[in-house]
Amino acid sequence: MGVRLTIAHLYPREMNLYGDAGNIRALVQRLRWRGHDAEVAAVEVGEPFDLAGADLVFGSGGQDSGQAIVGPDLLARGDELRAAVAAGVPVLAICGLFQLFGHGYTPLGGGRIPGIGVFDVDSVGGGERVTGNVVLDTALGRVVGFENHSGRTVLAPGQAAFGRVVRGVGNDTASGLEGARTGAAIGTYLHGPVLPTNPHLADHLLAAALRRRGVDEPLAPLDDTLELAVAEAAAARPRRT
Amino acid sequence: MRVPVPLTLALTRLVAHASRLAGRGSGATLPGALAQRLDPGLAGLLASRLPGGTVLVTGTNGKTTTTKMLAAVLAAHGQRVVTNTSGANLATGVTAALVADADLRGRPRASMGLFEVDEAALPAVAAALRPRCVVVLNLFRDQLDRYGELDTLAATLARGVAACTATVVLNADDPRIAALADAAAPGTRVTTFGLEVPAASGSSQGTAGRTTEDAQRVAPGDADRCPRCQGRLVVSRSYYAHLGHYACPNGDLTRPSPDVAVTALGPATTAGSTFRVASGDTELDVAIALPGTYNVYNAAAALAAAAALGVAPDTAVTALRTVSAAFGRFERVEVAGRTLYLLLVKNPAGLGQVLATFLHGAERPHVLLAVNDAAADGRDVSWLWDVDLAGLAATDPVVLTAGSRGLDMALRLKYDQIPARAQPSLRAALDTLLAELPEGGTGYVLPTYTAMLALRALLGQRTPTRGEAAPAVSR
Repeated sequence: MGVRLTIAHLYPREMNLYGDAGNIRALVQRLRWRGHDAEVAAVEVGEPFDLAGADLVFGSGGQDSGQAIVGPDLLARGDELRAAVAAGVPVLAICGLFQLFGHGYTPLGGGRIPGIGVFDVDSVGGGERVTGNVVLDTALGRVVGFENHSGRTVLAPGQAAFGRVVRGVGNDTASGLEGARTGAAIGTYLHGPVLPTNPHLADHLLAAALRRRGVDEPLAPLDDTLELAVAEAAAARPRRT
Repeated sequence: MRVPVPLTLALTRLVAHASRLAGRGSGATLPGALAQRLDPGLAGLLASRLPGGTVLVTGTNGKTTTTKMLAAVLAAHGQRVVTNTSGANLATGVTAALVADADLRGRPRASMGLFEVDEAALPAVAAALRPRCVVVLNLFRDQLDRYGELDTLAATLARGVAACTATVVLNADDPRIAALADAAAPGTRVTTFGLEVPAASGSSQGTAGRTTEDAQRVAPGDADRCPRCQGRLVVSRSYYAHLGHYACPNGDLTRPSPDVAVTALGPATTAGSTFRVASGDTELDVAIALPGTYNVYNAAAALAAAAALGVAPDTAVTALRTVSAAFGRFERVEVAGRTLYLLLVKNPAGLGQVLATFLHGAERPHVLLAVNDAAADGRDVSWLWDVDLAGLAATDPVVLTAGSRGLDMALRLKYDQIPARAQPSLRAALDTLLAELPEGGTGYVLPTYTAMLALRALLGQRTPTRGEAAPAVSR
């Protein structure tokens, strides 16, 4: 019996710069291939949206100017989002939204944008842009992607990272850690996009969402031969081509 | 102590010659860098000696084609033009071109300079050359790992525009480009080009409440907000990507009425385009051998620059008719009794335009998407997921992928339910493509930049005959 999940896509107009809409595509298609479905609802600045109805929350990166625009709107939804995370709703927050799911982001020119504190992290902009192919070791297995950020994020003691950097830079130039993880919420800088290339991560998020909707059976396996080949090839690419 | 100009020139030419002998491409980067090292003011000095001054062309898509168009126009106008190639559009390449053109005493043989310039390189090149005309075509997301944010790039372009001495030519239909008028130095003229034809699609008012799958039917916008006040732009007409008619709700930016306006478009074919242009009191009927809305924009830009440079409209229009595609961009190759189109793709806007122009309405077209991730291609291939493939899917295509990221491309297609087979090499991909095409059939090869160079070399090995522009294929 198929379930129709509601995926809340945060700010697709402002925060869409790095191909991360592909993550939505991966989630929806992988659900459909299992006989489930998804409704993807855009949550736009200034538009009312009942986040209590979301089975999964997704948001990604954009320009600094976009972040400045969504910041206050995200703050206004902070209680709802924190409640969702506390209730175990899976979240994937990438790049700019990863930063705003922390305590805040201070761009190079100043003008701190407060965040909603789901992750106990703080981010600053500036410094050299960090780009290149990334390989992570995570509790969910190997994850490959591409990072492209000038922001640096520091984890407070006690805040779990998403993964350890095997190749690449990650959150900052010192820790060797990438992203953050709190409950079913994952924050990361990885583009790629990260879900098509790492189907086990996509399925992890989907399984968590389905379980909350009473679907306990494990997800039917899909033929991920191509995905695995892509991840292998990506992991073998040089850091900088 | 300044290195004497003849010495710099002689050394640079020696290095350029050696570089070419060693097979290192066009031999521009190394000699250009050397010249800059020996004499940082040399490019500016040589440029200042060009009696007709210099013209710079920049933007995300269309630099090479628009430069080629302008070269033909200026030649028809009696100018001898020194120019560069797309592989040499940084400061080093421009310097190398000027050096190669000058005699040993540093006197240019050309009468005018015309250079395509990488967006990030524009400020430095413009400051050195003091161009009389700067043409800015568009700004699309492209190689974000190299360029960073679009806002940053727009600010970079503004610094280049500020160094223009006489006329700035801007795309009225691109909000960020139109807003660059703010950056033009006092006393310089701003002239604009754009489309005034009815659009294929209607207004796009926003995605709130719509599912994002609908929103993805239109590729994510690169210019949703007013560059001046960040208000959400109201779009009344959409030509492709974010190019069209827009207005800031707060009145901070109104689309300028283009000085060179395309007022009518002939039927779309894959052979070329016909259109009518209004410029002041004049109306011109234009025909070019390059198809697609994107090339109509390129031609309009060339006509606007031509007018600014004093070229008679008839001369410009006649010259445009003769322009064939720049290499790798709509190049037609006959191989083993089949026809292949090479169509360079670099970013979502460009790939979208190529798909719309060549594959819209096709039946079971044979397509090879060759994606590399070298620096010149863009190392982050996430951009593939910002491309709307619905149109391609509707043609039920036969798709092969190849290149260092051919697997990623196949994965992208899989998630749009388009079956594709990743090939182990570019050579294997070409072989398979040709083997699967019927005799007399047409294949479409869509490569990123370095894949395009490699494929051209492979096709060269097959000694192809270059075809002329194809007869119109009606869809």
